[in-house]
Amino acid sequence: MEKIIPKKDGIQVFMASFISILIGLVAGIIVLIIVGLTNESISNSSIWDGVRLVVIGVFNTGRDAAGNLTFGFNPAFFGNMLFRAMPLILTGLSVAIAYKTGLFNIGAPGQYLAGICATLFIALSIPTSSVAPWIVWLLAFMGGMLAGALWGCIPGLLKSLMNINEVIACIMTNWLAACLVTWVFDISNLKNMIDGTKTGYIYKTSAVINDIVVDGVQKVVGTDIPAGATILATRGGVATPKFGLDSVFSGSQVNGGILIAILLAIIFYIIMEKTTLGYQLKACGSNRHAAQYAGIRDKRNIILSMALAGAMAGAAGSLYGLSGNTEFFWTTYQTLPAVGFTGIAVALLAVNNPIGVIFSGIFMSLLNMNGLQLTNLTAYNEYITDVIIAVIVYLSAFSLIIRTWLGKRKRRKKRPAVSKTGEVQA
Amino acid sequence: MDDRIPESSEYVIEMNHITKIFSGIIANDDITLKLRRGEIHALLGENGAGKSTLMSVLFGLYQPEKGEILKNGQVVKINNPNDATALHIGMVHQHFKLIDVFTVLDNIILGAEDTKFHFLTRREARKKITSLSEKYGLKVDLDAKIEDITVGMQQRVEILKMLYRDNEILIFDEPTAVLTPQEIDELMQIMKGLAREGKSILFISHKLNEIMEVSDRVTVLRKGKYIGTVNTSDTNKQELSNMMVGRSVQLEVRKTPAQPGEVILDVNHFCVPSRLHARNAVNDVSFRVREGEIVCIAGIDGNGQTDFIYGLTGLEKSNGGTVKLCGRDITRLSIKKKGDDMCHIPEDRHKHGLVLDFNLEQNMVLQRFLEPEFQKGQFIRFGEVRSYAERLIDQFDIRSGQGPITKVRSLSGGNQQKAIVARELDRDKKLIVAVQPTRGLDVGAIEYIHSQLVKQRDEGKAVLLVSLELDEVMSLPDRILVMYEGEIVGEFDPKKTTIQELGLYMTGAKRQQKKREEMA
Repeated sequence: MEKIIPKKDGIQVFMASFISILIGLVAGIIVLIIVGLTNESISNSSIWDGVRLVVIGVFNTGRDAAGNLTFGFNPAFFGNMLFRAMPLILTGLSVAIAYKTGLFNIGAPGQYLAGICATLFIALSIPTSSVAPWIVWLLAFMGGMLAGALWGCIPGLLKSLMNINEVIACIMTNWLAACLVTWVFDISNLKNMIDGTKTGYIYKTSAVINDIVVDGVQKVVGTDIPAGATILATRGGVATPKFGLDSVFSGSQVNGGILIAILLAIIFYIIMEKTTLGYQLKACGSNRHAAQYAGIRDKRNIILSMALAGAMAGAAGSLYGLSGNTEFFWTTYQTLPAVGFTGIAVALLAVNNPIGVIFSGIFMSLLNMNGLQLTNLTAYNEYITDVIIAVIVYLSAFSLIIRTWLGKRKRRKKRPAVSKTGEVQA
Repeated sequence: MDDRIPESSEYVIEMNHITKIFSGIIANDDITLKLRRGEIHALLGENGAGKSTLMSVLFGLYQPEKGEILKNGQVVKINNPNDATALHIGMVHQHFKLIDVFTVLDNIILGAEDTKFHFLTRREARKKITSLSEKYGLKVDLDAKIEDITVGMQQRVEILKMLYRDNEILIFDEPTAVLTPQEIDELMQIMKGLAREGKSILFISHKLNEIMEVSDRVTVLRKGKYIGTVNTSDTNKQELSNMMVGRSVQLEVRKTPAQPGEVILDVNHFCVPSRLHARNAVNDVSFRVREGEIVCIAGIDGNGQTDFIYGLTGLEKSNGGTVKLCGRDITRLSIKKKGDDMCHIPEDRHKHGLVLDFNLEQNMVLQRFLEPEFQKGQFIRFGEVRSYAERLIDQFDIRSGQGPITKVRSLSGGNQQKAIVARELDRDKKLIVAVQPTRGLDVGAIEYIHSQLVKQRDEGKAVLLVSLELDEVMSLPDRILVMYEGEIVGEFDPKKTTIQELGLYMTGAKRQQKKREEMA
């Protein structure tokens, strides 16, 4: 019972994902070459550069004076890769948790928005002049998770009480979230009024905002406080601590959020594999009727599972908002955050294993980074990596087929030995 | 053990020295099976004896490691079911392969449709099917949807599917497992009719009564090995069961007279709503079960037995009456609370009994994982679970590939059932609710489960049995209650009644006066 999948299967599952990745990379490279050959502005050496960037871009340090790619340890790349992996791991976790209970959580984007919205409100509303910033941080993070959990509960409740398909409910709650968040920020005082150029954005949580009164008029300013003003309250200045990661990966945006994401993944692995709660959730997911028969409260577990999934997507939004160097574009009603949907791919590639999600999340973020490098360093555009991601996701959906194929190959190898014993017994 | 010399014309199918191995397990070990033209040849064996594997080899689903298949004396290679169909081999699977929302006609022609300009032409097909169904007495309603017709009629559709494709060799894989006694009789007549018309039939079963009634010859397999082929007229049930199990089997249930004690289960005016229609599926049912007795609810399938058990165990909400268990009113309690004094061997082992994708040990603690024995601070105690599962596997002889970590899906049906029986009986509850506990099982397993239930009875447990098998109804219980259209229409002492008498009550031809007051 240590693992739901016996060890041998575990290797096969891993191999299946690995093969998907390899085929995805090869497909990407083929596209890269074809695009390169047909596009006059891309020279043959650029094609070679592109191929190298896709495969080992993680070790690229830019170009030297002669214009050749240089390779080595690139701390900024690593750091940014981890930074971008953070929300991906959490949304991947969100999808994986729900899947274990037999639910398809396509509502991660909405839960992400609920999370980031609650977090920004808490972080930017509680005056840090009277409450310590770390307490505000904690409240904001908790609030974000809670908001995500509540948003996830809605499809969970509809599913368990009225048997409404969670996919449909999730899609609806996604757009509800997008519109609600836009409306809430529209009537809020959190729109960035200090930096004139930043219209349409919410303050960074790390920004210091002072509510002041000058000549009887109440105003919001940054750190430039005009003379004679009375400070009513200071807000903001809240950000996730870096835990020294910024010195390891200098020049990057990374912060402690990635550690929290990894920790949460490990916690969920333990919950799923070692505890009675995980056992219940998986029983409900595998056979709801049998769970019911055994006296397991299936309805409660469905709601709980969606709430936990929502909390993780909420945490993704929350930590992204709290990283301090990100800004939130508040008119979000026309788009859903892609990171929520990429979570599905992350979970698929990890075969819904919480530990696997850590690695697949980092890998997805690596591909994103490679795309950026392609744009920065070659004439290619970054969308070529989307082709790779698409192929990989497509193939992970086929991972079962690859697994059966691997299994068959193994058996074929074994067969002669076995039939010998058959003869002995006959 | 007749016929070792091949006479090509005599046999339509010969399977010679078939050996089939699955990842180290020898499912078929040098098995030879010869099917004569126009005979009904039964293939008998316990669960896991390799019957289904052998038929799957014949049907092209598996490739044997060794051995050859001859049709009319010619060696043939059957790589897939299409090859089998081309050789006029057809199969009725135990679980029907029908599309619920299609009509009977469409299901029959599916895969062999006639078309004109890519449009279906059903007229010819309808004519052919109508004549086939008249010729063989296979009554079906061609325009009804599969989901609306009875299981018996669904099976006739499967048979018509084979006949429509002009199949000469018909394989029936445990065809009676899902049928009512009346439907079984009907099927036996149909099979005899088919054989008279020159079809050759392979009949997979472990029900000795049916084999004795319908077959010409019997081939017995045991644990993947060929035991022998005998003429049905030269043998008897006892000999066949001994061949099948490999030891002398107790066909009759051995038990002492019951000594009922305290009332354990007290059902009063109990009603359960129907999911299909406005009437109650279970209406005003009252009876008692005492400790030390086995009470059986008998009846034809679909007369409210399933709904009654759902209502009793909490899978369905009741809408009237009360249930007292060990003096406690449990009518409105949760499934878990109801389970405090009751264990339940469910009717559908795949739907309710097991989580098929869990392994054996996880299934063994399905109700008990929250007990302190198996968890500490919400963390599962894997060591305890493992040793508990190992004890049950050992005690109840559950055979599996990898022991406690075997996926339950990969167990044979009999061993799946044994796993459920082991789990439920070991919970040691005052009331044992056993719904068709031996459905689809072989003689050895039936003997075992019956003896376990009798043992539990003798230990002072109350057993409530629901059964559709008349043999079981007559032999196992101490009292029989007959249920017809959701009501108890009669109570009988199995020693003082006959199958014929029960049949009259089960079909609603007769009913006893209600005498609930006297029962107190």
